[in-house]
Amino acid sequence: MRAIVQPRTLFTLLSLACALAVWLSLALGPVSLPLLDTLRAGLRLLGVPLAGDDVQQAELILGQIRVPRTLLGLAVGAVLALSGVAMQGLFRNPLADPGLVGVSSGAALGAAVAIVAGASLGGLPPALEPYLLSICAFAGGLTVTGIVYRLGRRDGQTSVGIMLLAGVAMTALAGSIIGLFTYLADDAALRTLTFWNLGTLNGASYVRLWPLLLVCAAVIFWLPRRATALNALLLGESEARHLGIEVEKLKRELILCIALGVGAAVAAAGLIGFVGLIVPHLIRLVAGPDHRVVLPASALAGASLLLFADVFARMVLAPAELPIGIVTAFIGAPFFLFLLVRGRT
Amino acid sequence: MRSLSKLTAILAGLLLSQLASAQSQPPQRWVSAGGALTEWVVALGGESHLVGIDTTSQHPESIKSLPSIGYQRQLSSEGILSLRPNILVGTEEMGPPTVLGQLRSAGVKVEVLSASADMTALQGNLQKLGALLGDEPRARELSEHYAKQLDTQHNWVAQAQQYQPAPGVILLVSHAGAAPMVAGVGTVGDWLIKQAGGRNLATHTGYKIFSAEAMTGLNADVLVFTDRAQNGASSREALLRENPLLASTQAARDSRLIELDPTLLVGGLGPRLPDAMKTLSKAFYPATTTLNAKVSPAQ
Repeated sequence: MRAIVQPRTLFTLLSLACALAVWLSLALGPVSLPLLDTLRAGLRLLGVPLAGDDVQQAELILGQIRVPRTLLGLAVGAVLALSGVAMQGLFRNPLADPGLVGVSSGAALGAAVAIVAGASLGGLPPALEPYLLSICAFAGGLTVTGIVYRLGRRDGQTSVGIMLLAGVAMTALAGSIIGLFTYLADDAALRTLTFWNLGTLNGASYVRLWPLLLVCAAVIFWLPRRATALNALLLGESEARHLGIEVEKLKRELILCIALGVGAAVAAAGLIGFVGLIVPHLIRLVAGPDHRVVLPASALAGASLLLFADVFARMVLAPAELPIGIVTAFIGAPFFLFLLVRGRT
Repeated sequence: MRSLSKLTAILAGLLLSQLASAQSQPPQRWVSAGGALTEWVVALGGESHLVGIDTTSQHPESIKSLPSIGYQRQLSSEGILSLRPNILVGTEEMGPPTVLGQLRSAGVKVEVLSASADMTALQGNLQKLGALLGDEPRARELSEHYAKQLDTQHNWVAQAQQYQPAPGVILLVSHAGAAPMVAGVGTVGDWLIKQAGGRNLATHTGYKIFSAEAMTGLNADVLVFTDRAQNGASSREALLRENPLLASTQAARDSRLIELDPTLLVGGLGPRLPDAMKTLSKAFYPATTTLNAKVSPAQ
């Protein structure tokens, strides 16, 4: 695969797309705000002393609803796409998605426990509920990934093949336990669980945002620094070792990054499918396989894609809202099929 | 030309009177999340205030044209704000909590009422809705009428039980093709069965999927099932076709399969329940035709 687009052009285009997505995400919503009001409210939120009692409503919608939502979308999109690149690099398989090491199913299991057990305990204090759900999902993702990693280790070596199989088995196990909780759930908990599995950026608030932003910042800062090592890994593990890469350490770091990043993203926004799978593909198609380009470009593209999908999700059924997982999978699945068919011919 | 100016004058007059009435009575814009609550708002004369409803609000027919705010547990803050409501009423099932917080900080009054299936909860809800709509007498009247209907119902059931023991009932909530769920303790379905004079054979809490064998094992005298399409006989056949074991139960042998509108069971006690109760209890106590002539159930 050769690059069709020069990296510089690609980054310019992606930055523009990302800026456009951020702008749309801030400017568009079921409440139609005049452009001028949005701008004035934005400036006031940034601390510019403008007179404007008339933009209080705009300020509230922008500051309390759209800004946290946009930040959440950016962080989740970037981290999911980056983790996707890391997974595909680690497994040297274009079909790998971050769910493969069990982080998504582990998080889903954590969420199911929180929702169903919380409901049967007679309900937790409503103020605590969102945090408990996020913490359980995050912990579930980390635990299952940790187990998969441990199972893959043998004589100080990590076998990617065994990890893959262990991931499949753990996903099945988590799935069956989720099934059990689904059975035990009452009607209301069941609906909550279903919606959680479809993901949403709705209800983003700063309190829940900061932990995610911290984790995301760490992943976004750290992963691109391993681009050269991932490039070497493309040649094969022993080749990478000959090139002086500490392969075991790299694997450990990548798994940790994926578990932390995807765990945090899923904990904050629920399961959002296909971003981690299609975005890296898309970038490799146009820019070639060099991770020094693919990693940062995927982060930008993932963030933009998720924001565009979110604008669509909140507008199309307004005043109700579509879960974003439906939108991303709706775009993602046909694209993936296209890749499959194209690869065969 | 003269007619045109006349028309303008009439239009201006209409506009002015509109403005005047708008000033004297500040319009309240209501969003309601919860099937039974919406029905009560309408019953209390608040239909003209409604600007949005959730997906569980299906009655009366006239409100279906209102914008839908989606499922009550997955509300969207900005979506609701776009309807410019003054107030959002719903049950404790409303959520997510962050969205309710955002709505409150945007100046929307968020009223959380009870969805539990008992009279105290209903009376509390009615009182609150009446106060919010500014028609407390009407709320009191509805509440008293409801209690009276229940009383009449209890008397009727007590009399009927002198002629016939209370039948064992199970209530199946089914969505076409999927395994039916059985209504257990604490559900509106359970309350409805008891008020209509039946014994609910299911003892679990909430709605649970039963195996066909377990359902058959309960051997109910009467089988009540929800029927979204409300097409009577054919849905009865479909139920037996999909769950052939049910055909061997007492209820099926005696053809005592009764369909029920599933929207009756959502969001606490609604205003249409006494009628449903009346129909059910007639089916529960078919031997009381003579009694029916003397005391008709729940007026």
